[in-house]
Amino acid sequence: MRVFFAFLLLSGVLAAQRNDVKSHTLPNGLKVLIQEDHNIPNVALYFFYTIGSRNERPGITGISHFFEHMMFNGAQKYGPKQFDNEMEKAGGNNNAYTSNDVTVYTDWFPNTALELMFDMEADRMRNLAFDPKIIESERGVVYSERRTSVDNNNTGILYEQLRAAAFTAHPYHWPVVGWPSDIEGWTMDDLRAHYKTGYAPNNCVMVVVGDVTEAQVLALSKKYLEPIPRQPPPPPVRTKEPEQQGERRVTVRKRAQLPIQLVGFHTPDAKNPDTIVLDVIDALLTSGQSSRLYSRLVDREQLALNVGARAEHSLDPGLFYFSINPRTGIDPARTEKALFGELDHLRTTDVPDAELRKAKNQLLTQHYKQLKTIAGRANLLGTYEVFEGDYQKLFTSDRDIEAVTPADVKRVAAKYFSETNRTVATLIPEAK
Amino acid sequence: MNRALLVLSAALALSGLSLGAEVRLPKYTREVLPNGVVVYLLPKPGVPLVNFRILVKGGAESDPAGLAGLSLTTAQLLRSGTPTRSAEQFSTQLDGLGGSFIANANEQYTFVGAEFLRKDLEAGLELTADALLHPSFPEAEVKKVLSRGIDGAKAAKDNPQAAIRQYFRAFFYGPAHPYGHPAQEASLTRITRDNIAEYAARAYVGRNTVVIVAGDFDPATAASAVRKAFSPLPAGTAWQWAANARPAPGGRLLLIDKPDATQTYFEIAMPGISRTDPDRTALRLINTLFGGRFTSMLNDALRVNSGLTYGANSVVELNRLPGAITISTYTRTETTEKAMDMALDILKTLNQKGITPEQLASAKAYVKGTYPTQALETPDQLATILGDMEIYGLNRGEVDDLFSQIDAVTADRANALIRKWFRPEDLTFVVLGNAAKIRDSVKKYAPSVKEVKVSEPGYGN
Repeated sequence: MRVFFAFLLLSGVLAAQRNDVKSHTLPNGLKVLIQEDHNIPNVALYFFYTIGSRNERPGITGISHFFEHMMFNGAQKYGPKQFDNEMEKAGGNNNAYTSNDVTVYTDWFPNTALELMFDMEADRMRNLAFDPKIIESERGVVYSERRTSVDNNNTGILYEQLRAAAFTAHPYHWPVVGWPSDIEGWTMDDLRAHYKTGYAPNNCVMVVVGDVTEAQVLALSKKYLEPIPRQPPPPPVRTKEPEQQGERRVTVRKRAQLPIQLVGFHTPDAKNPDTIVLDVIDALLTSGQSSRLYSRLVDREQLALNVGARAEHSLDPGLFYFSINPRTGIDPARTEKALFGELDHLRTTDVPDAELRKAKNQLLTQHYKQLKTIAGRANLLGTYEVFEGDYQKLFTSDRDIEAVTPADVKRVAAKYFSETNRTVATLIPEAK
Repeated sequence: MNRALLVLSAALALSGLSLGAEVRLPKYTREVLPNGVVVYLLPKPGVPLVNFRILVKGGAESDPAGLAGLSLTTAQLLRSGTPTRSAEQFSTQLDGLGGSFIANANEQYTFVGAEFLRKDLEAGLELTADALLHPSFPEAEVKKVLSRGIDGAKAAKDNPQAAIRQYFRAFFYGPAHPYGHPAQEASLTRITRDNIAEYAARAYVGRNTVVIVAGDFDPATAASAVRKAFSPLPAGTAWQWAANARPAPGGRLLLIDKPDATQTYFEIAMPGISRTDPDRTALRLINTLFGGRFTSMLNDALRVNSGLTYGANSVVELNRLPGAITISTYTRTETTEKAMDMALDILKTLNQKGITPEQLASAKAYVKGTYPTQALETPDQLATILGDMEIYGLNRGEVDDLFSQIDAVTADRANALIRKWFRPEDLTFVVLGNAAKIRDSVKKYAPSVKEVKVSEPGYGN
């Protein structure tokens, strides 16, 4: 059995995938990526606007996310509600998401709706309406979203506090959904200014994956998107987070059944070569029940209900953070100590080859799973183009993962997982 | 931050295709092994992954009285040791292949979903089958999983959106119904290793088991590997489904007090249909318009027009036994009554005025247009359909005839079904929020009101 389960090399699996993506840039700066796929008669059409909460300032925090909502509330040709009504009537549906870095619009529809979608997307990219009554109503929707994802969600509350403590100067300090007083306060002028620079074609990558032809997409792009004028780009984000010089701690006390612990470390931006090493470290520590933190904290020592980690890929230096749910009666000081013990181990002892192989195999199959759907591929292509600077890196990411050595793991762990670079946020249940 | 939460229940995968075109289930084979195991193979070349979906009939319906969560706990323990592998060895081998293994139980079956690279089909299948055929349930692992389950039930109370679903199940179905017993601290405390081993020996047998292989694989290799792996399973006795059961009567309201809540979560339900009800396609179209998509009546009123909530929806549950049709949403504490009144008004309007042929046409296009991405795109989606066919005694008409069934629904038929099913009377209400602030205003919704504290163990049952 041992040989049977030897961890074989998986590299080359992605390279074997079709790299048949066609890339074009329209004269107005809009980047177009197309991948034909005729498995099902549907299309995933994604618009990545490089604008997010990092482009905000105190007083208008959350405006990028608010804007994500406003993009569905009427433009010149298609008025209020029409984007959704026309789309659903044509058999499509949509969503959108906003992060610190980007605002992304995601459309899924049958191929018969392709031209309608170009018409409606161009209309809202160029001629959005700003109706004061609709803005007030949408404020209520966004506030409800905040109440659901932050105010009434213990992890949400703690995560907001973790970031606010870890970032003191850089805009990653504030939450994507915005501070409550800002949600109540932003004005029409704020919205117009945000739209003008954020939603310009030269600030956008459009990805089309599915039952289309390149010629079809290019003809529709020329007709609907090319006439939209370029705009000055959003002002550069100049503020850099100063180096952290000592551990930071933040506590939230709240009625709760169980505590929660989040521990964040400053890490570099997505393009930095250390980022892929951090992905491998994430897999080593938390991916699967054989991972180091799961097997110790959840299984062997039974200190935690769950343990997870996230290595952010962000435009500016971001965070690598761990989330731990301590068990009933377990002092969060103990889970924290166990975590720090594993991090120490990582930076002082070489990872055995077999364990490194396992982590790499996990990352590669996880990557594969995202390629199963047209939606998954559209999202990955856009994400690589925006965050890594080139969608082609998607097709070489297996080689980048493969190149990570035990020495890299040790070096990167030592560089970032230090006491002075960490922020510990703990939610402590209050007596009921 | 997402524009809308993707809240549609898996039970009602609102589904769609090139308008006018038909959809067809891809080619597959079905074979019954001598011990009763039903094997489906559905090859779908593409991303080089192979998906196993293994179903064992029974699920929560087969949990003995007082032992809610037994089928679920047994499923969770499958990976925790066999005569030839410890739990740790299982995880190391699984993770080493980059594979995934999820085991869970729902109302009517236990399911294992596992996925491996194409080249690891045989190794992955051996690992998966070992867990299903030879679980040894080591005492120490049993204790761990049960105590984690108990803490998990506590932690769920900190998440109102997850918690209200459990309260809802217990309250809507009631103690006499097999769906009315979500796993909870008390029942998990009672479960022993003997219960688990006995359950596995009885339930995990050939006549209860369905094995579905879907994805990028060679059918001949897979067929012989599955036969070899699952032939040793004893045939056993097929699970006998319980007689039909009905939800508890309506006209009741459960108020769950969470004193720190700044918004109220509520569900309003009426009795619905089963997975095999002949009216399920029509109800899917009606529910699309009522609360199944962004422009639905509920979301339009409560979110788009009034800004009372981030989202309002309705779901038609589709299980073996008739389930609920449920309106769900949340709003800030101060607007609880306004939002509940509005949701009820939308239901009354639907019941009295019905839908127009234009609305029905839009719902048809939506369900058809979204169906391929929700049901036909990936091997795991296709495996889910094959599993449903076997469990519920359906056939490939589930896919092949769907569009013609959609086309056949007329506005008159839909409106007759609306009057039959979407009735604003004898409703069941479950409300979670700050009771001190909403207690008086929610009393009016039902003649019978029960109040519990979220901090108390259990789900008010």
